[in-house]
Amino acid sequence: MDNKIGRLLLPVGTLIVVLGLWQLSVHVWQIKPFTLPSPLAIGERIWEQRDRLLAQSGSTLRLALKGIGLGIGLGVLSAIVFHLIPFVRAALSPIIIITQNIPLIALGPLLIIWFGFGMTPKLVLLALVCYFPIAWSMLAGLGQAEPHLREYLSMIGTNRLTVLRRLELPASLPYFFSGLKITATYSITAAIVAEWLGASEGIGYYLVLKSKGYDTTSVFAAIVCILAMALLFYGVAALLERLVIRWRPADRNGGRGAAS
Amino acid sequence: MNGRAKMEIMEEEMVGAGETDIVNGRADVETAEERGRTMGGRAKLELVDIGKSYRRGKKRHPVLDGISLTVGDGEFVTLLGPSGSGKSTLFRLIGGVERPDAGRIFIDGAETTGERGRISYMPQQASLFPWMSVAGNIASALTTAGVDRRKASGEAKEWLRRIGLGDVADEYPHVLSGGMQQRVSFLRALLMPRGVMCLDEPFAALDALTRAEMQAWLLRLWEAERRSVLFVTHSIEEALTLSDRIYVLSKAPATVLREIEVPFARPRRSDVWKEPAFVALKEDVMALLQRGGAGDDL
Repeated sequence: MDNKIGRLLLPVGTLIVVLGLWQLSVHVWQIKPFTLPSPLAIGERIWEQRDRLLAQSGSTLRLALKGIGLGIGLGVLSAIVFHLIPFVRAALSPIIIITQNIPLIALGPLLIIWFGFGMTPKLVLLALVCYFPIAWSMLAGLGQAEPHLREYLSMIGTNRLTVLRRLELPASLPYFFSGLKITATYSITAAIVAEWLGASEGIGYYLVLKSKGYDTTSVFAAIVCILAMALLFYGVAALLERLVIRWRPADRNGGRGAAS
Repeated sequence: MNGRAKMEIMEEEMVGAGETDIVNGRADVETAEERGRTMGGRAKLELVDIGKSYRRGKKRHPVLDGISLTVGDGEFVTLLGPSGSGKSTLFRLIGGVERPDAGRIFIDGAETTGERGRISYMPQQASLFPWMSVAGNIASALTTAGVDRRKASGEAKEWLRRIGLGDVADEYPHVLSGGMQQRVSFLRALLMPRGVMCLDEPFAALDALTRAEMQAWLLRLWEAERRSVLFVTHSIEEALTLSDRIYVLSKAPATVLREIEVPFARPRRSDVWKEPAFVALKEDVMALLQRGGAGDDL
């Protein structure tokens, strides 16, 4: 129990100290809010703009959730297909890896040229970002199932689909969740890039607006919202992992993030 | 498909004919199957002249060389041999995971060479699925063997209670000790409604004390149930304590050095190793294995 409190106290304490130094520096050197606003000023701005920030964040959250949904759906499906049919994997995986290496900043405008200004280009962008971590970690997980369990199943004569259902899918779940945790944080960033490219709402849109107006304090307020959303998503993914994977021994080393 | 089915029908007819022969008291050519029958009734498992070799690079390494053996109905048969004598390979062939290069395998009189799903199996590691409850592990194996889901789960719980593990039925397997996991693994093999149970060095990874306990436990449970068992071990004492018959195998390429009838009565005491006859037999087998190993080098 003491240990648990200690683990929480250390990072929170460090954060408070960093914020304190920041606040102090702004006062001591008289830094202008236009260059670097103080933490307190950012806090005030967030409070003033709370309704607007909440509304914009909500819009971004919805977009990010759609992306995660697409990522999970496509990722899990293709991991299973690639795993069952190595031929498809060999044929498609280089192309998929290429798509991951095109910079989003270059891809975004192209998608707008192809798909217009509606929802479609944003969803394509999000799907491309959210898909990869889930598909690839799950694919690794499907191949990682314990050989002696595999041997047992083939000795008692189970068919391919039963092996998938009873062994490979459960064995890949920890890998799926480490992919989901990455996707969860990526999705927010990707949603903001998508909004940056062409949107009339969302925290990304707000960010562009405020940075064009040199309102640095509001930019920081938006950053705080983005961080909060990313942490929230990560937290939810980690919580889900803990709820789903209950079979791991609850010791200090094995229980947390063994697969990530 | 059609040819296969026809072969099986022929096989069954042959077995049928064999049975009437026994009724008439006519001694046919003495095949391994016949011997199995006279031991413990009808042969549950029969291997005829099994040969298998593996290719490593360009060289062929023979592993099994003309192995023939039978397991009668309700008989406990042990394969005893040094490490690396191809015992596990033989199991993979019986399980249908691999095909032999030569020879045929019969289960319940029907040819099953290269066919999966005819045996139940207990490996050296307990091989319980960590994400299923203890009862779930047993039940899922039973459903693989065609048992109705609800019946399988009821049976698993009932038997776990019977062997004193009722209160951990809903726990994950990692809460169990190694010995307890092996009990669950044995129970899983025992309850699968299949002709032959294949146990592959199930106690090799346990410490000496747990191992002795497990042997006594297995002896009691098996003598109550009397399933057909093919057991693999490299421990002479374990083989003599548990089995009705022992096939002693040579080093690779494995051949049957000798077939031994274990003379100790059933139900067998687990401290049968204290008897002088046990010690004498153990010395015999030890000498045989040493000679077999030496002869192989020449």
